[in-house]
Amino acid sequence: MLFFKPLAGIIIVLALIMTQGCAFSRGTLGEDIRSESVDAIKKATTTKAEVLSLLGAPDRLLQVNGRDVFQYYRYDAKVGSLLLILINFSRVSIKSDDLFVIIDREGIVEDVILSKRTDGLKFRFWPFGE
Amino acid sequence: MKLSLSTLCPILLSTVLCATFVGCNVVRFTLNTPITQNDVAFIVPGQTTLADVITKLGTPDSITDSYTGVVATYRFLDMKYSRVNFGWLLKFWSPVDADLLISRTGLGTDALELLCDSNWVVTHHSFLRRLSGHSFNPYPF
Repeated sequence: MLFFKPLAGIIIVLALIMTQGCAFSRGTLGEDIRSESVDAIKKATTTKAEVLSLLGAPDRLLQVNGRDVFQYYRYDAKVGSLLLILINFSRVSIKSDDLFVIIDREGIVEDVILSKRTDGLKFRFWPFGE
Repeated sequence: MKLSLSTLCPILLSTVLCATFVGCNVVRFTLNTPITQNDVAFIVPGQTTLADVITKLGTPDSITDSYTGVVATYRFLDMKYSRVNFGWLLKFWSPVDADLLISRTGLGTDALELLCDSNWVVTHHSFLRRLSGHSFNPYPF
């Protein structure tokens, strides 16, 4: 038992000496997709012009299956780093929010697809495991 | 004060352990949450619609047109990087900041592609490729 007390002390002191610091960084691309603007878009009612006035010009304009698809996206990156003197751990996590507005040949919204993956994005520094 | 062997052992052990990890960097980079075969087990070709898939997996990263319908793609990436700088040892003795680096990057990229017909019903689905990323091994040779 007497052996473990100095050992624990040494480990704590070493850990304190080796801990140089932490770093948290964040980067975003694009503006937040506001839920109230998306909620204002009604299927079979809202026109293309109204979509543009609500959300602005799309980040990407696609022609799919005979329809126009407006894609809006936003990326969020969170970087956590544990900086030790001898070893550094870093983890970069990136997720995106994507909104697809499908517009039919008459210029009316056919479907709205939104998923916000960035809501659950956390700062992590431990690179192992999931 | 004279150091006993029992006090010295943990110090030596810690020093050896620290020397093993000299100048190490371990970095992981993930884009989106990887989708597994189990996650797509619910998809029945010819029955499941793209809307059903979106309800379970969220929106795809891209939707593109094809001759037979629509291709929806979910992309994800898992990159592992590790580096060891053995030159770090010389910092204590050399005025020159010398580096002797070995590093390795494993880029695990994958994508789930869904081929839908003109009625948005999934007709085929498959993973683009699955790379089993190495487990933070900096040895490049």
